[in-house]
Amino acid sequence: MDTFVTIVQLAIAAAVINNFVLHYFVGICSFLGVSRRIDMALGMGLAVTFVMAIAGLLSWVFTYYLLRPFAPLPAWVWHMVGGDPGVTIDLSVLSYILYIFVIAASVQFVEMYIRKFFPGLYKAFGIYLPLITTNCAILFACLEIMKQLQDPTRLWGLGEALTLSIFGGLGYTLAIVLMAGIREEMDRCDVPRSLRGPGISLIVAGILAMAFMGFAGVDRAIETTFTVLMKK
Amino acid sequence: MMTDNPRQPGSLRQAWLVILLALLYGGALAATQTTLGPRIAENQRRETYRVIPTLVAVDGAAKVQPVTLALADGKKQEVFRVVADDGATAGWVLPAHGQGFQDRIDLLIGVTPDVATILGLYILDQKDTPNLGSLITEEPYLGQYRGMPTDPKIVVVTSAPTTTCQIRSVTGATISSTSVAEIVNRTIESLKTPIRRWRAENKP
Amino acid sequence: MSSSEPTAMERFINGILPENPIYRQLLGMCPTLAVTGAMKPAMTMAVSTAFVLIAANLMISLIRRLLKPHLRILIFTLTIATFVTITDRFLAAYLYEMSKALGPYVPLIIVNCIIISRCEICAATQGPFTAFCDGVGMSLGFALALASLATVREILGSGSWFGIMLLPKEWPHWTIMILSPGAFFALGLLLGLANWISRRRQEAAARQANEPY
Repeated sequence: MDTFVTIVQLAIAAAVINNFVLHYFVGICSFLGVSRRIDMALGMGLAVTFVMAIAGLLSWVFTYYLLRPFAPLPAWVWHMVGGDPGVTIDLSVLSYILYIFVIAASVQFVEMYIRKFFPGLYKAFGIYLPLITTNCAILFACLEIMKQLQDPTRLWGLGEALTLSIFGGLGYTLAIVLMAGIREEMDRCDVPRSLRGPGISLIVAGILAMAFMGFAGVDRAIETTFTVLMKK
Repeated sequence: MMTDNPRQPGSLRQAWLVILLALLYGGALAATQTTLGPRIAENQRRETYRVIPTLVAVDGAAKVQPVTLALADGKKQEVFRVVADDGATAGWVLPAHGQGFQDRIDLLIGVTPDVATILGLYILDQKDTPNLGSLITEEPYLGQYRGMPTDPKIVVVTSAPTTTCQIRSVTGATISSTSVAEIVNRTIESLKTPIRRWRAENKP
Repeated sequence: MSSSEPTAMERFINGILPENPIYRQLLGMCPTLAVTGAMKPAMTMAVSTAFVLIAANLMISLIRRLLKPHLRILIFTLTIATFVTITDRFLAAYLYEMSKALGPYVPLIIVNCIIISRCEICAATQGPFTAFCDGVGMSLGFALALASLATVREILGSGSWFGIMLLPKEWPHWTIMILSPGAFFALGLLLGLANWISRRRQEAAARQANEPY
């Protein structure tokens, strides 16, 4: 039950409270670039969510077994070659390079898989897939997972890592679709000439960010609600 | 097949640059890690250890000894025992964390050797609203905890405190203020018995 | 592009204002919005990005004749990721507080589109000296953009600049400016201002050209 509450809290925190785009500012490039029409935005958002889930899964596996301090795999190899047991092997210096390749590989994999098994889907958002490799939101998800794994008092399990990446992706989708909806309406507005294009989009994003600030504290309220329910 | 075979040597010829660069960069990273690694580890350690003696407020050079305690639910938790010059326990510093308004709050709690009174509080990390929730890291709020009894539980009030177990919240940041008090209550409650048991067993 | 590639000097000048990475090309928005709550983190970010950009540009330019088209991006990424890791470790060792404050945004330099686009546009085709000048120019442009945004946000949000109190104590801190919405508002309005200035200059130039007739 405790884990369940943690997962729900984490999901809400990742999706709306600390929204990747509006709170952490990651994925702004695509947020401004691909938010002209709602269907395009939805395609991009789902593609990002999909890749983020896979990259999150892979980076959790790599970080947990290989890259964090006290990781089992390097420790075992060190033990086998007869190294000094007092030394901790910490390969975290390699994390960033590994993550970027994990992301590139997941994009490739997702692209191949979708092209083969879901040609319709591929037509819908295949064109966004190559763009995703340099989408900072995905690397950000990997880095968050790494941060949680390096601190022994947190040490996330796979469930938490997946929750963060899936709901982080859904939060990104929510933000980009909302933005696209507003921009479609804004086409009919008389925007000052200098602000047209990215300028007004950023200001709209600011208002969205302000609206999303209202979600702060919801996760705590959920914790309290569940504690009260448990007691009954 | 016909096309595959001649590609074999070709791919190696094409990839040599990548392999060479990978080796070069690997060497550079290893060098960075060996030179800077100890310094980084030292920074991380110092971050926690720097404030520990100040929390318990002992004069002179106090030693810090990490002690691992078994909690009631079977989990283990590391706490810090501050040892005075004569070898007696000057106080305990308990690492604690919990959900704040925005994100996790990490803090250190200093208590007397018998865990009856709080000696001081230090917020290691928080991400609450700047100029509002973040005021929980500052003296007007944190100072209230100094000298507070750990029994009964600490209560956060929005007006001036009337009893010794009350803390006045930061105006406009009630949730952040209550979070800290809840973390303190919860941590002390779970560690009080293990620490007292440790003291009985070790007779310092 | 083939017949007249920009010279080193042109590359340097272009990076600062005419092709400013933020205000003109709209690249590298994440760090621009995320670390400009105050001047100190913004300038640390600018210096870190500058180091990675210049180093990667030099490295790529030195090996440009050996690059195979389909392995190009792979090599760019590998180079950038290595330099970013070095920067990140360096910050953690010597500026620990700052490295904690910047958090994930230092490793996120890897996916900063400015760097990869400079490697692609300039370093992969031109010599080391030009690539170096390009890197310096672009870094200055990036630093300028970060500084402008951070100045507005820090002065309005905390009443200070580089941690030095500028405005009187009575100044009501616009806390919203150091929170996320303030970043979006400030950048949106500054972008509008930049567009407005450049449009006025263009119009003035056009008027001058027309006057003799």
